[in-house]
Amino acid sequence: MKEGAKEPPGVTASSTLRAVSGLRLVGIRKSYGDNPVVKGVDLEVASGEFLVMVGPSGCGKTTLLRVIAGLEQVDSGQVLVDGKDMTSVPPRDRDVGMVFQSYALYPHMTVRENLAFGLELRKLPRADIEARVAEAARMLELAPLLERKPKALSGGQRQRVAMGRVIVRRPQLFLFDEPLSNLDTALRVQMRGELARLHRQLGVTMIYVTHDQVEAMTLATRVAVFNKGILQQLGAPLELYHRPANTFVATFLGSPSMNLFDARRDGATFVGTGFSLSATGDATGDVKLGLRPQDLLVSSDGPFSGEVEAVERLGFDGYAFVKTAAGPLTARFDGTLPVDVGQNVKVKPSGDVLHVFSPDGAKAHHHPEARR
Amino acid sequence: MKQWAWLTILLSVSALAEKPLKLWHAYRGGEERAIELAVKKFTAETGTQVELLSVPYDAFSSKLTSAIPHDAGPDVFIFAHERLRQFHRLKVVATTTTRVDRTKYFPSTVDALEVDGELYGYPLSLKTLALFVNTSLVTNAPTTTDELLAELARTTDATQYRYGLAYAAGDFYLHAPFVFGFGAKLFDESGRATLNTPGMAKSFGFVKSLQDRGFMPKEVSGALVKSLFNEGRAAMVISGPWFTGEIEKSVAYRIVPLPIVSETGLPLTPWLGVEAALVSSRTEQPEQAHALAKYLSLGEATALRVDPGGQIPAEIAAYERPEVQQDPIISAFRDVATRAAPTPNTLEMARVWEPMKLALRGVLQGDVLPDQAGALAERRFRALNRERPADANPLPFVLVALLAVAGLAVWQWRRRGPAQAFAKRYPEASRGLAYVAPAAIGIGVLVVIPFAVGISLAFFHHDAGDYSFVGLANFVDILTSKGYRITEPLSFWFTLAVTVAWTFINVVLHVSIGLFLAILLKDPLLKLRGFYRVVLIIPWAVPNYITALMWKGMFHQQFGAINGLLAAFGIEPVSWFTHFSTSFAANVITNTWLGFPFMMVVSLGALQSIPQDLYEAAEVDGASKWVQFRRITLPLLKPALLPSVILGSVWTFNMFNIIYLVSGGEPGGATDILVSEAYRWAFQRNEQYGFAAAYSVLIFFVLLAWTRITRRLSGPEAA
Repeated sequence: MKEGAKEPPGVTASSTLRAVSGLRLVGIRKSYGDNPVVKGVDLEVASGEFLVMVGPSGCGKTTLLRVIAGLEQVDSGQVLVDGKDMTSVPPRDRDVGMVFQSYALYPHMTVRENLAFGLELRKLPRADIEARVAEAARMLELAPLLERKPKALSGGQRQRVAMGRVIVRRPQLFLFDEPLSNLDTALRVQMRGELARLHRQLGVTMIYVTHDQVEAMTLATRVAVFNKGILQQLGAPLELYHRPANTFVATFLGSPSMNLFDARRDGATFVGTGFSLSATGDATGDVKLGLRPQDLLVSSDGPFSGEVEAVERLGFDGYAFVKTAAGPLTARFDGTLPVDVGQNVKVKPSGDVLHVFSPDGAKAHHHPEARR
Repeated sequence: MKQWAWLTILLSVSALAEKPLKLWHAYRGGEERAIELAVKKFTAETGTQVELLSVPYDAFSSKLTSAIPHDAGPDVFIFAHERLRQFHRLKVVATTTTRVDRTKYFPSTVDALEVDGELYGYPLSLKTLALFVNTSLVTNAPTTTDELLAELARTTDATQYRYGLAYAAGDFYLHAPFVFGFGAKLFDESGRATLNTPGMAKSFGFVKSLQDRGFMPKEVSGALVKSLFNEGRAAMVISGPWFTGEIEKSVAYRIVPLPIVSETGLPLTPWLGVEAALVSSRTEQPEQAHALAKYLSLGEATALRVDPGGQIPAEIAAYERPEVQQDPIISAFRDVATRAAPTPNTLEMARVWEPMKLALRGVLQGDVLPDQAGALAERRFRALNRERPADANPLPFVLVALLAVAGLAVWQWRRRGPAQAFAKRYPEASRGLAYVAPAAIGIGVLVVIPFAVGISLAFFHHDAGDYSFVGLANFVDILTSKGYRITEPLSFWFTLAVTVAWTFINVVLHVSIGLFLAILLKDPLLKLRGFYRVVLIIPWAVPNYITALMWKGMFHQQFGAINGLLAAFGIEPVSWFTHFSTSFAANVITNTWLGFPFMMVVSLGALQSIPQDLYEAAEVDGASKWVQFRRITLPLLKPALLPSVILGSVWTFNMFNIIYLVSGGEPGGATDILVSEAYRWAFQRNEQYGFAAAYSVLIFFVLLAWTRITRRLSGPEAA
């Protein structure tokens, strides 16, 4: 999959396809009035995949999901399912299920009626409906709640009903629009686990929109990172983490964010303001250097130096926010060290950790050998 | 303390001074200016101060009869003589038998003020009907009906909407001259109404033939008469002195007495109405009050009555004045007045109006043959003027009421469970009561007491100020529809059926149209959405009586916009108010126009509170637009819409204005609903307050049952 990472941003990583069947988006464009939201996206999703679309607010990921669902008409482009053009097919004929951010449960129906609604509309026999509802209820532990109305449910329970409403219909494609964003942290972790389990259990294609990189990293078989209506990079979560295609992807994934410094290749070293590092890769001239905070250590010596502005202690280790001549820098430190605000410290990289990008950050020149 | 002493002294000083006389009237415009000037002159001559109060005509009579017995009324008031007998029975007028010099006034005007041999008030002016002739269309005013018919045939061109004659033919006041002209009498020697006579039939037949031959337009209102005459489309008009103010200056006309009926040789005799200055029986200054009333009826005051008042004076000497002799209108009316007969001031007279109107409208609309109309009027007269039910013993009723109250109290007390001392349960009761008191008093005075009075009234019979306890007789008469068949419009059951149909059809239309428009307006991408919304709310913002009158005009058979529109599609003009179905439809159309905006606004608010993603979820779930509407929109609208539907149904059930103003119950009271029927019993049929109150109590129980049913319909959550 190495080639995929070298594709320029915004272009399909078509060679990463694992199957020909599934969903294919071709040149999708969509704007609201004069405001373009999706600026030409091509994307293929293999069946059985768990694709997470991630990006900051307003990057077009939700619009794209709604285009896939059929809730939004495209300005141009095509939505193909198993090779068939579904671009102008209404949602009800697309065989998709969608979990909405607000859950969109029908407030006047009980949980049972919410679950059965889609099946009734498809004129399934009563017995089948009951069997499917019972099965979904068992799977999602909703059985004791079936006669309640949504307003009598907790957030997590509502979330599960919204999921159940899709499950009973057994669609080819599950769509999730930030389904966990309204839950508290503990519940979110739990639901994340359940989602992963469901995906394994059902073996269906799922497309999941979130702005939370943790969800993206933990759930996805592949992650699509969007920014400003353009697909920045598509790939397995760790590939994106270790081999980001540009500085946007590099800083968006990973916490705390990757440190970026301007530098210049000078023979065997990268020289920046107040620091120099031994060069890797074959980039020449001006570059942008990326260093993950996890790969930088506060120590007695090192190429960076500066004053500690803030400290986050996490126990075993911690992060120090250091003001250096080259700009702000985040570095890890051993939890036993007495690092404190106002202290002058030195920071050193732990081995071959340099990501090298073009000076505008749009292109990656070199990544460290991954620890895979 | 000092201030109090001063105040007391001031008050006693002012009490010593003469209080100004209070004079109430219902004049407007020139007539009002005339009375003001006359009163000013009176004060200048006598030094007696007079306080003038102009009272709206509609409320004048009831204001007088309620204020005077409580010493809150005027010393002198001006009123037409028709009410005199009622004032006399309620003892609110002082006699003037020994004070009036009969020779100074036209004899008929003094006769009109007589009740049981006693005279009341001083005659001021008179009103009667005359023939207004457009002199550019008719050179020789007709003096007989044969001449009239010849002139009508000559001047009428119905295809050009030109008519020989125009007058409010459906108004019995204007028909009365024909009744007398054809030799009929309204009352026999004993004063009983005799409506079914050959002369009556002939009068109906004559007027009907005028209409059938196209000599006069159909469904004529006062406003139509005015515009037809001013536009030269009506050569002749029958009307009174008030009409002179409505004629445009460009129209040349003469006023002549109504013609003589060729067949009988009798003149078409209009009624004479006499306006009089009446002295209150409770005045504290009788001498000054009589002096004022007398002053207003004679001399200088009469001159002012002519100019700027424009009234026809009752004083004979007034016609000697040069300015009166030069006034062709007033001298013409003097001739007319000599032929007029005073309207009887009897109670029987007050009861004749509705039956005669019914018969007259029936004839003009072609539902009743002229020679059967008299019988119809007489039958209706008997039904409306119920025999006084036998008195009942109130004791059992009082006992039942007391027992009910006691039972209710005991039940409430038992329900509370084991009694705990009130003071112990509510240690701060006195403070709490103080907080509650203003609201409790307000509700008590505004709701509880009127409600209790209304219910008690239903057990009484009212006849000219006398109330007698009749027990359940009113209810029994209503529920058994005594005196008329159950299928007649007067029957409670018939009216109830009409009311239920009226309510149901209206609410269904209001909700479906309102909801439909709300769904259209909901779309946020709709251009000019705000504009449409304002336009569609306008019918609701316009006062409903104005809307009602506009629609009434639009439903006019010959000049209404709706028939004009139908004619454009080649459809025969519909006579909207002559058949039950069309008259009912006219009411429903008007009320739907008024009623849909409310439902639209409610639906729009409720629709906008339904999250858009529910529709998206439903769409993904496989729901078509129609299924979304049925399974998502309607159930979610229900909580907001149901209370509005209940509210709307109660409003519509009691929508008096539309019925009263649009169809007016036509034809023959068939489109009246319960509340307008109750109104007629109370205010148009001899003030049968008890009977009307019984109607209202029955309306209350119907609506009570309805709200119980709807509450059950709205399901367990709402209960």
